[in-house]
Amino acid sequence: MTEALTIHAKGLSIGYKEETVVSDINFDLAEGQSLALIGTNGSGKSTLLKTLVGLLPILQGELKVLGNTPVQSARQVAYLSQFHASSFILPLCAVDVVRMGRYAEHGLMGKLTSADDDLIHKSMQRMGILKLADKPLRDLSGGQQQRVYIAQALARNAEILVLDEPTSGLDAGAREIYQQAVADELARGACVVVATHDIQEAMDCSLTMLLARKVIAIGRGAEVITPAALLETFGITINLAQQPLGVTVVERDHCCDHPDER
Amino acid sequence: MRNCFKTFITILLISAFLGLSACQPLAASTNTGKKTIVVTYSILGSIVKELVGDQANVIVSMPNGQDPHEWEPSVRDIETLTHADLIVQNGLGLEGGMEKALAQAQAAGVKFFTASDYITIRTVGAGEGIPSGDPDQSIGAQDPHLWTDPVAMKQIVDALAQTMKSELGLDVSANATTLDSQLDTLNQDIINEVATLPTGERKLVTGHESLGYFAQRYGFKLVGAIIPSLNTQAEASAEDMSALAKLIKDNQVKAIFTELGTPANVSQSIGTETGVKVIEITTHALPANGDYFDFMHNLAQTIVDGLK
Amino acid sequence: MSILIQPFLANSFLLRALIAGMLVSISCGVVGTFIVLRGLAFIGDALAHGVLPGIAVAILLGVPGIVGAAVSAVVMIGGISFITNKSRLSSDTAIGLLFVGMLALGVVIVSRSTTFSGDLVRILFGEILGINTQSIILQAVATVVIITITIVGARPFLLLCFSPEQAQVSGFSARFYHNLMLAMIALAVIISFQTVGTMLVFGMLLAPAGAAALLAKRMKTMMIYASLIGMVSVYSGLLISYYFNLAAGSAIVLVAVVIFFAVMLIKNLQAASLRKGALSHD
Repeated sequence: MTEALTIHAKGLSIGYKEETVVSDINFDLAEGQSLALIGTNGSGKSTLLKTLVGLLPILQGELKVLGNTPVQSARQVAYLSQFHASSFILPLCAVDVVRMGRYAEHGLMGKLTSADDDLIHKSMQRMGILKLADKPLRDLSGGQQQRVYIAQALARNAEILVLDEPTSGLDAGAREIYQQAVADELARGACVVVATHDIQEAMDCSLTMLLARKVIAIGRGAEVITPAALLETFGITINLAQQPLGVTVVERDHCCDHPDER
Repeated sequence: MRNCFKTFITILLISAFLGLSACQPLAASTNTGKKTIVVTYSILGSIVKELVGDQANVIVSMPNGQDPHEWEPSVRDIETLTHADLIVQNGLGLEGGMEKALAQAQAAGVKFFTASDYITIRTVGAGEGIPSGDPDQSIGAQDPHLWTDPVAMKQIVDALAQTMKSELGLDVSANATTLDSQLDTLNQDIINEVATLPTGERKLVTGHESLGYFAQRYGFKLVGAIIPSLNTQAEASAEDMSALAKLIKDNQVKAIFTELGTPANVSQSIGTETGVKVIEITTHALPANGDYFDFMHNLAQTIVDGLK
Repeated sequence: MSILIQPFLANSFLLRALIAGMLVSISCGVVGTFIVLRGLAFIGDALAHGVLPGIAVAILLGVPGIVGAAVSAVVMIGGISFITNKSRLSSDTAIGLLFVGMLALGVVIVSRSTTFSGDLVRILFGEILGINTQSIILQAVATVVIITITIVGARPFLLLCFSPEQAQVSGFSARFYHNLMLAMIALAVIISFQTVGTMLVFGMLLAPAGAAALLAKRMKTMMIYASLIGMVSVYSGLLISYYFNLAAGSAIVLVAVVIFFAVMLIKNLQAASLRKGALSHD
């Protein structure tokens, strides 16, 4: 059964050489499914995402990505990290950044074909940044840059998208564009794992995991996102009844606990 | 990326072509008329000027008073060297700072005359100075300070006159003969001067090992040097200093002679500790009138008077 | 017009200096781009000064200085790697330690030998006027190597500048390409120190690339601009040293730095006038 699963985690412990951040993680994700991670900064969200793409080692337990170890499957997984190199100095245009998403498939010297150009073009179109293609990255606003990075992840045409807070810096309009893009990815059979502060987004996912250096709960969004669970996760009380349009929890208490979690 | 590659390769090929074409030796000086002779340092330069007279342009690379071991040429100086008809150099590593420049002249095909090729080279002997593990001071190291011996200068004059004839087609035999007899007279003068100093007082301590040829010619003992090395670029070490002080006391030396490049504070402290006189002496520079003979007379006088 | 060309035509040593300088400009332009974009200035500086003991020992042993410089560079990079991996210290600290240690070692070696000080000056400030054909060939080879590695590794290098994590996740070992970059910096320093000296080679790595960073919109263009600015600096510096009797190596670096500040000034004025223009349209 595990062969058909895109991601399979059992008894998984994640963390760094010197310490375990979260232990005993269990979940399965199949094609077209999505998993939302909710928790404060330092709760283990980024750690889990990095472990999924092979940037951090598995401390204990089992984790299979596309039937292989995360490192072996890395090239078929697109990753959007939370932090980016200082763009004010990088001499890159938006299209250059998106084009970098095609390197994983072609390696050092494989030629980029018109099929690749197509993918690049479509990714930018889906994120609404075609007109920004030839603009230097440093001339773009934070929100525009974020859309470029998302487009890069889309251009990977990967089987799994691992996104760390993709909507940070996006206004409402851009967020809708992003959500449509994610829906399209899911529709073509990709998996999406997203760390988010957006409770509404989490509700729309197949699975939600609440993290606070341990797994508070995992299951269908509507079932696990309760005020009690949120209190345990964030340490604050949220009244869910009063956000018809969805609430974004911004929590800065435990920012960047672990020096490596950056 | 392809275009980029091509551009760079093109630049490199052009550079290589230019580089190869730059290897060819330059033609000698372009202005007709007198030949240009470049001499590396002033003392040798004054002798060459006397020898050549009006028959050629003599240019001295280093300004008088500069330390020949250290002085480095500027772009223009190198240009002069590479366009010379003949370069007269000391040899034996005297012109430390000019090494690369002289190599460039060599590569350009300029003719060289090396003074040290024509004398009996003195080597460092046992018991001279302080053993300090410095290759320049080890037994057998070659001493370049040949200008302090008028007889050696005579040998150089004769050889140089030959070279002028064969390489530059200049006949300077008349001047050579004059110079030779002047150098003979100088030699005799100094012998007489030194005779007034009791043999027991003929001991030399200098800034660095620069009076070897003089000592050899006129019967002096080299007791030690403040910078125990054949060039001024080295530095004094504490160990060497105390060894020197002991040597001075043991040999009952009356005076120590400091030169261009000797650290003043070091010589002062030796003087205070041993009670000897500290006297300044000019060994690497000509006097204001640029005359070699005056230079040698002053040198001998200072030494003899200092040790009396 | 001819006063700008004449000195080079009349003096083959000056022409060789020019060619060597051109090659150095290309190497330093390419490598300098990586240094500026990846914030490797500190390690670049450390390598530039850390080669001193190697060169000093090489000269003592009668071996070409370049060989000693190469050994030094390997020791430094190895040492930094070792400290960062085996301890909790950041690479910043590791670099600083190796930097100071190697420099001190270099000075100790030089002071032990009594025949050194002139050579030391030449190591620190270079001897671009003493370049021979052999040096040029070596520099040409090294430049071709650097360019080739840059072209072949263009994608992982670009990814590395953008985000080491993206490089890793795209299937390129971030550590390997980072070390390759360091090796290229070391190579550039090793072949360039003969021209402008170890003191100033860092200037040739940083100033042209820094100016290019302000002008270029793409990485390839940045490397080209950096190389061109370097070449202009070499050409002008040599001319200035010829006509005004100044030290050649230092004149070159001075020109490069002046160009950087000029570019920065112009860019700032441009930006200021754009803002002003925008405001006045209200």
